Amino acid sequence: MKKFSLLLASLMVSAGALAAAADMVTVDEPYVRLAPPNAPATGAFMVIKNAGDKDVKVVKADNPASKVTELHTHLNENGVMKMRPVAAIDVKSKGEAVLKPGGLHVMMINLNAPMKEGDVVPITLTFDDGSSKKVDAKVVRPMAAGMPAMEHKH
Amino acid sequence: MSERILLAIVVSLIGLLVGLGFFWNPELPQRLLPKAGMAAGGDFTLQSTSGPVALKDFRGKLVLVYFGYTYCPDICPTSLAATAAGLKLLDAAEAAQVAMIFVSVDPERDTPARLKEYAEFFHPAIVGVTGAPENLAEIAKRYGVFYARQKVDTAGGGYVVDHTSDTYVIGREGQLLSKIAHAAPPDEVAAEIRRRLK
Repeated sequence: MKKFSLLLASLMVSAGALAAAADMVTVDEPYVRLAPPNAPATGAFMVIKNAGDKDVKVVKADNPASKVTELHTHLNENGVMKMRPVAAIDVKSKGEAVLKPGGLHVMMINLNAPMKEGDVVPITLTFDDGSSKKVDAKVVRPMAAGMPAMEHKH
Repeated sequence: MSERILLAIVVSLIGLLVGLGFFWNPELPQRLLPKAGMAAGGDFTLQSTSGPVALKDFRGKLVLVYFGYTYCPDICPTSLAATAAGLKLLDAAEAAQVAMIFVSVDPERDTPARLKEYAEFFHPAIVGVTGAPENLAEIAKRYGVFYARQKVDTAGGGYVVDHTSDTYVIGREGQLLSKIAHAAPPDEVAAEIRRRLK
């Protein structure tokens, strides 16, 4: 009995210490950019915030609207824009990762069907500890960089 | 006496001017490729759904030219959306003096029909054109545009195209005037157009 309570206590302690990344993370303003006609791919953008004491990594993203989902970034090398896959997106403890046009993004490749404005795409982010989080991202028309993707609540 | 004072003033003014000429090097708000200088630019003729489109066809208008491709997953939509938003800031009289050409550097996948739909999605005034690879390469060279295929297995068709993402501003006489940097915000786009319309 004593052993059992000890075990229970240690389990509880470790549960506290090892809170799943998904529980520490919140996602703000997720959206999918409406793909132009004939474009086979588009990006999803969002701000991923980590309230936890440990850094987390987004290691995978999935969505049902495209055949392939990848984590990508852009490199600007002397004005040449290069898109490249990345293995993970780091979200520092108490920090955030900003996914935005021209930078980090969730790449949705080979769309299953044309999208329309206002559609909602459920995107599942998987973290390095195996936990995951589902985010509903609304489809919006392409906007100029730096412009709010959706109505801001100020 | 007053002549001597006048002379002294003239001499010091000349000194100041010479000094400025030598040492004053204002930082111009240009965004050129390093050491590239402003490229030569010049005329070109490419294909659209409604036949050949030549830069010459737009004499008397300011022409924006952007090089990209429709499979472009993020960069082209970002840049085109910003430019289109800039065009929408113009009043009717200004807009009537501006044209825009979207040149695809990926003729293998981008037919003129694809290009038309794609370009008009961003702004009805954008004309989509492309041409033979050697023709495109020659034009790109004159404009200082860089593009190169990059194999990415998961991308549609197996490759993406790395490319420069500036928008070229061509004057009413067909001369290359300036470049608008990738994803410059709409107000900057409109400001540059207005500056060049004057």
